[in-house]
Amino acid sequence: MTDFLAPVEETIAEAPPPQRGGGAVRYLLTKVGGAIMSVLMVVVLGFFLFRVMPGDPVTIMTRGRPVSGAQLDQLRAEHGFDQPILVQFWNYLVGLLHGDFGNSYAFNAPAGAIIGERLGPTLLLSGTAAVLAAALGLWLGAKTAWYRNGPLDRASTGVALVFWSIPPWWLGVVLLMIAGGVFPTGGMQSPDSPTALVPHALDVAHHMVLPVFTLVLAIYGQYQLVMRASLLEEMNSDYLTTARAKGLRDDMVRRRHALPNALLPTTTLVFLHLGMVVSGAITVEAVYSWPGLGQLTAEALEAKDLPLLQGIFIVLVIAVVIMNLVADVLLRVLDPRVRAS
Amino acid sequence: MTPVLELRDLRVTYAGGHEAVRGVDLTLRSGQTLGLAGESGCGKSSLAMSVLRLLPKDATVSGEILLDGADTRTMSWGRLRAVRWASASIVFQGAMHALNPVRRIGQQIAEPILLHATSPPDEVDARVAELLAQVELPPEKAQAYPHELSGGQKQRVMIAMALACRPRLVIADEPTTALDVIVQAQVLRLLTRLVSEHGIGLVMISHDLSVLGSVCERLAVMYEGEIVELGTAPTVVHDPQHAHTQALAAAFPTVGDPASRYAPATTNPAGLPPRVVPEAGEPLLRTESLRVDFRDRGGGWTHAVRDVNLEVGRGEIVALVGQSGSGKTTLARTVLGLQQPTSGQVLFEGRPLPRGGRALRDYRRQAQLVLQDPSSALNPRHSVYEAIAEGLRIHRMPGDERALVAAALEAAELRPAQRFMPVLPHQLSGGQRQRVVIAGALALRPRLLVADEPVASLDASVRGEILALLLRLRAELGLAALVITHDLGLAWNIADRVAVMYRGELVEVGDVEQVLLEPRHEYTRSLLAALPEVAAPA
Repeated sequence: MTDFLAPVEETIAEAPPPQRGGGAVRYLLTKVGGAIMSVLMVVVLGFFLFRVMPGDPVTIMTRGRPVSGAQLDQLRAEHGFDQPILVQFWNYLVGLLHGDFGNSYAFNAPAGAIIGERLGPTLLLSGTAAVLAAALGLWLGAKTAWYRNGPLDRASTGVALVFWSIPPWWLGVVLLMIAGGVFPTGGMQSPDSPTALVPHALDVAHHMVLPVFTLVLAIYGQYQLVMRASLLEEMNSDYLTTARAKGLRDDMVRRRHALPNALLPTTTLVFLHLGMVVSGAITVEAVYSWPGLGQLTAEALEAKDLPLLQGIFIVLVIAVVIMNLVADVLLRVLDPRVRAS
Repeated sequence: MTPVLELRDLRVTYAGGHEAVRGVDLTLRSGQTLGLAGESGCGKSSLAMSVLRLLPKDATVSGEILLDGADTRTMSWGRLRAVRWASASIVFQGAMHALNPVRRIGQQIAEPILLHATSPPDEVDARVAELLAQVELPPEKAQAYPHELSGGQKQRVMIAMALACRPRLVIADEPTTALDVIVQAQVLRLLTRLVSEHGIGLVMISHDLSVLGSVCERLAVMYEGEIVELGTAPTVVHDPQHAHTQALAAAFPTVGDPASRYAPATTNPAGLPPRVVPEAGEPLLRTESLRVDFRDRGGGWTHAVRDVNLEVGRGEIVALVGQSGSGKTTLARTVLGLQQPTSGQVLFEGRPLPRGGRALRDYRRQAQLVLQDPSSALNPRHSVYEAIAEGLRIHRMPGDERALVAAALEAAELRPAQRFMPVLPHQLSGGQRQRVVIAGALALRPRLLVADEPVASLDASVRGEILALLLRLRAELGLAALVITHDLGLAWNIADRVAVMYRGELVEVGDVEQVLLEPRHEYTRSLLAALPEVAAPA
């Protein structure tokens, strides 16, 4: 045959290999840029959203105390409420860039400091729950899909759906009534918690059992169902037949070939959802009086504490945005096809 | 000597009672090659999968499947896993999906070598490189992921993988479907060479008799689960006895055979229309030094279409032939106004293509597109009626909608029209679906059909029927057509003129007889040389 046959395949063979390094940096920068933009938009939205809420902030601050009109005016001037809204926004933005979330009315302390104090317990609670729920959900999802219509699938898929649809706070209350005697039902530590590191950690862990269990039950079902669906999607793929034809054992076919592909859509979802877990923990925290952001939100709402609410709002949003970013980057690491496009 | 593969009274039955394979006996000795031909649903793939017991759980297999004398049907799972790939391997259909998308090529080739320990672990990398060299791929491709390879390269990887454990039998299931002629020729040549060099027994499955005939010594033709004809390749191809074999052989015409010129194989009572001579005068469609450039990811330019001057006369069928990547699809998109040309212009009835608005919409009504795969071209949740009526509504065609839909179905020979209207696409056969797509186009009374590989995804017996329909539509409605294809047989079957496209340029344009029988350009010659050829019977 003539040399016309060669060129087409040759050009493909000679084409430079896809550039994995340079593209990665650009990809990361684009994604980080997008994340920053999202946070900025939320800051704008948050500021104006809280301003259109009914109620004059100064009246709220002085609730229950006798104050004169002149004192109110003075307070307004102190907090800058007499300035045009755009100036207020500018001041707020400049403050934010310096890490200043404004002063909490209710606690009479910097909102940033109060939020920072409560962030740790929330991350501990929701992080533990998320890791356990993801492990449980993905494992169950993979098993139930692989042995579809088997006993495990029949039993657990329905159960997962039930737990997913139950509101977490209701689950919390029920668990509280059932296991209240065995495990602590409120707070993060005993009043007389030991000060040494290990005993203290054990005490906290003991307090964590019920809230973590509640959160895990509330969120694992979604992971299981998504994992099950995406593995089922891969089950009829031709490359699994290839793997079987090669003589691989059934569990090797699953581990080496099916799972890496099924995990792609699931990973994205799990990380997207992780950001939401922090806000999802709010009701559970309220039930178990966990000293985290959730409880703080409830208190701030009660007191109509504007700067504090705004701060919490931004922190929760940042959590979602960061997890979104992690999901994007992780998907790129896991899926070579995303790297190419 | 024990045969490599011996099937005795093999039967495969699926849950629900469908008998896919009904009593097949076959023997293949080492180094022999056997082609298994048949249409989709004839049981050829079930037969292939049954050899390594890869059928789904709901399939019941009876009879004997002797691989090197041992029955794989009754083997223990452990023994079966040891036999898989080491004794017999499979080159799967559509290498597109048969490779794991998230693992590197090298890992996938090395996997069975490590599993069956056919090479010492420290020599596996060298073995992978050796296998890649055998299929004429550079060793760096071991680092590539499947999506970074072309279709032909993926098929080469599949072949390398199949040879990894030095099996005695290779089963190739439609190894060249979806590849274009030239790549198909390369893959077939490679397969033939490797099989004969290593003395491997080969069972090759295809719907295309000429592909099988060019590789295999013997051919078996399957129809409804049974082997209806078995003989040496030249005899089966050139002197078919069974009616079904005759239909298969006629479906893919030999370029240059006067009997199949303007005569696709059809059993439709409407028959073939009388020959129509396209009207002379101002062509319906004309492109003037058309160029389309794309900016690629590296920042360079890809010249998809370069200075193309193409004419389609009124009532004329023009075949646009070329390999994948030659720019023929971009040209078609530009002709339809779906892609803006970088320079040059498209003229319809002597007027430049409108750039937008009502005029462009009116042009699109007159130039309709028929896509390759009717299964994905139709919305699975729209009934046939909806699929056809949608275009009528968009273009606000005057007249009674129901009557127009019925007329379009009649024109596409879906009769009685009333019966097809409420039907959903998945309830139709492939050929019927393609007719629905054509009916959807016809409903708008177009002047020009642009058809992108209109029969490539259809069975051999349906192929001729659809091509005959295009000929009849031309004769009855004066419909012109620009048919994009890599199938020279199709051009020989229905086209008046052929335009050969190579790397964005039209290298040869002319009457079918002239271009295909006395090609001037070297590329046209290599296209013709790549057609699979079956030796004449001795």
